[in-house]
Amino acid sequence: MSISKYRSTLTKFQSSIALFLLCLALSLLSDKFLTVDNGWNVLRQISVNICISVGMTLVVLTAGIDLSVGSMLALSGAIAAGLLKFGIELPDNDLYIGFTILGTIVTGILTGSALGFFNGWVITKFKVPPFVATLAMLTIARGLTMLWTKGYPISSLGNEFGYIGTGWFLGIPVLVWIAAIIIAASIILTNKTSLGRYIYAIGGNENASRLSGININKVKIIVYTIAGALAAVGGIMVTSRLDSAQPNAGMSYELDSIAAVVIGGTSLSGGRGTIMGTVLGAIIIGVLNNGLVLLDVSPFWQQVVKGFVILLAVIIDKVNSKAE
Amino acid sequence: MKLITAVLLVLVLAACSSSDKTRQPNKIAIVVSTLNNPWFVFLAETAAKKAKELGYESKIFDSQNNTALESDHFENAIAAGYDAILFNPTDAAGSVASVTKAKKAGVAVFCMDREINSKDAAASQILSDSYSACIELGKLFVKSLNQKGNYVELLGIVSDNNTWNRSKGFHSVVDNYPGLKMVAQQSADFDRNKAMEVMESILQAHPDIDGVFCGNDAMAMGAYQALVAAGKADKVKVYGFDGAEDAINSIKEGKLTATAMQFPKVIAELAATYADEFFKGKTDFPKKLPIPVEVVTTENIDKFIAYGKKD
Repeated sequence: MSISKYRSTLTKFQSSIALFLLCLALSLLSDKFLTVDNGWNVLRQISVNICISVGMTLVVLTAGIDLSVGSMLALSGAIAAGLLKFGIELPDNDLYIGFTILGTIVTGILTGSALGFFNGWVITKFKVPPFVATLAMLTIARGLTMLWTKGYPISSLGNEFGYIGTGWFLGIPVLVWIAAIIIAASIILTNKTSLGRYIYAIGGNENASRLSGININKVKIIVYTIAGALAAVGGIMVTSRLDSAQPNAGMSYELDSIAAVVIGGTSLSGGRGTIMGTVLGAIIIGVLNNGLVLLDVSPFWQQVVKGFVILLAVIIDKVNSKAE
Repeated sequence: MKLITAVLLVLVLAACSSSDKTRQPNKIAIVVSTLNNPWFVFLAETAAKKAKELGYESKIFDSQNNTALESDHFENAIAAGYDAILFNPTDAAGSVASVTKAKKAGVAVFCMDREINSKDAAASQILSDSYSACIELGKLFVKSLNQKGNYVELLGIVSDNNTWNRSKGFHSVVDNYPGLKMVAQQSADFDRNKAMEVMESILQAHPDIDGVFCGNDAMAMGAYQALVAAGKADKVKVYGFDGAEDAINSIKEGKLTATAMQFPKVIAELAATYADEFFKGKTDFPKKLPIPVEVVTTENIDKFIAYGKKD
């Protein structure tokens, strides 16, 4: 095997290697880290970030970005919780519409999809840079969440709804099932479908893709809609887990998910990256969050450490891609 | 094109403001540190409601925990001709300059809940004393744990001075008992979800704990849920702070052990009343008026509702 081949193998598995080293270090530092219980803990905790980050990965692969995921998560979760708890009352018409759990979930996800669609529409129709369009959505959706909740949490949603966030199915937490299904579906999407090929193509070279006949606007709108829908799924998961829709839910989740995408080796300039990379990135962040608390590292230092890990990941990625 | 838009914008603004020229009734600005937390939403809304009852127009400004934005709000409020500001400061030191500016412009400022580091800039400061309240909570904490055991502290946002006021008040009591050992002190940003995650991790490292002290009720709820999931909710005493609806209900159901009730309703209504009196010519207000915080437990829960006492 030549050196360059070594190198490319190393690059391919750099996230896995980083995760392995991190886990090894934490197991040596704390005997509480490598336990089954703690494993489920970490997986449950990262499941929401994985959902969001999968959507973010698709967006970033098209050389875009979505800063509004946290706000879309909050609004979708709050709408689901509000409909479940209060339904819709129209006293003027003496009308009350109640919602089943499935009904609220579907409405929540439709909300997120609609917001994501709006992002995609603004970006493609008016050529607004994704950074700006989704930055605007970040505040719009947060404001709508405040309007809908009036600034107060919507709590006590019942045990049945809580099953999503706290239940187990076949020995695995429901949250982890959801994340796993989303990972599987998105891997199929990116690797086996023409839409997946178009996403990579657009991020690689938008002009060439246009000339080769890809409907770029359509692909982008679909991608942002998926990101919105997945943020909504995350919103349902968080709301169910807490038995409460918090008006400030999902604050700065966009940063965690961008971090997962970047640590996972996806290039912010588009066209290069994988879903599995992002999943590993999310696991690395989750393990780091968990490990720093297990070791009782001061909250001040935690922020510094996390920042350096992101930086390190990107630097390694840069050095490797230059070597290629 | 840009020029036309700009000109149009200026004209629209001019049209809006000129119609205001003839105003007579006094207007009240309500500037709060954040609307991202139900407690402050309640404070601001109660103040606005009271102002309306007293016959004044009012507007709520959200400083988003940012003293720079807060300063902008003050400048805008002064320029827009507001006559009094009901003010929940973002930072004790960083907010003084804004209040002084208002005073110079003849706008009376009434501080709500939080203090500013100035004796005479504000017309009056109606304060909720987090520090003393946490001393009381600390005493109860010591008692309920029989002076010994392992406990966890969940801090709020570490750059927020309320976080440290509460923590220091609590520790000023609890640290005197060598039998009480703090096994973990972590931040959960006043956030329910973060508190649940942090607590889940802490429970892995320290499965045998007896108490959790949280800097607000949202974190207490999150910590409690983590304890439920771990099957330890019965054994661990969970303390919150604020008197939010979820926490009051949970204490009623015997889930949380205690919280500290601040009285945002009392504070906000008093501030609005002071503004009313100020417009009618009164100038000598108490410079500092502490509103006592009360500890809420299962024993006295019947007296309380969310954010206040039963009437």
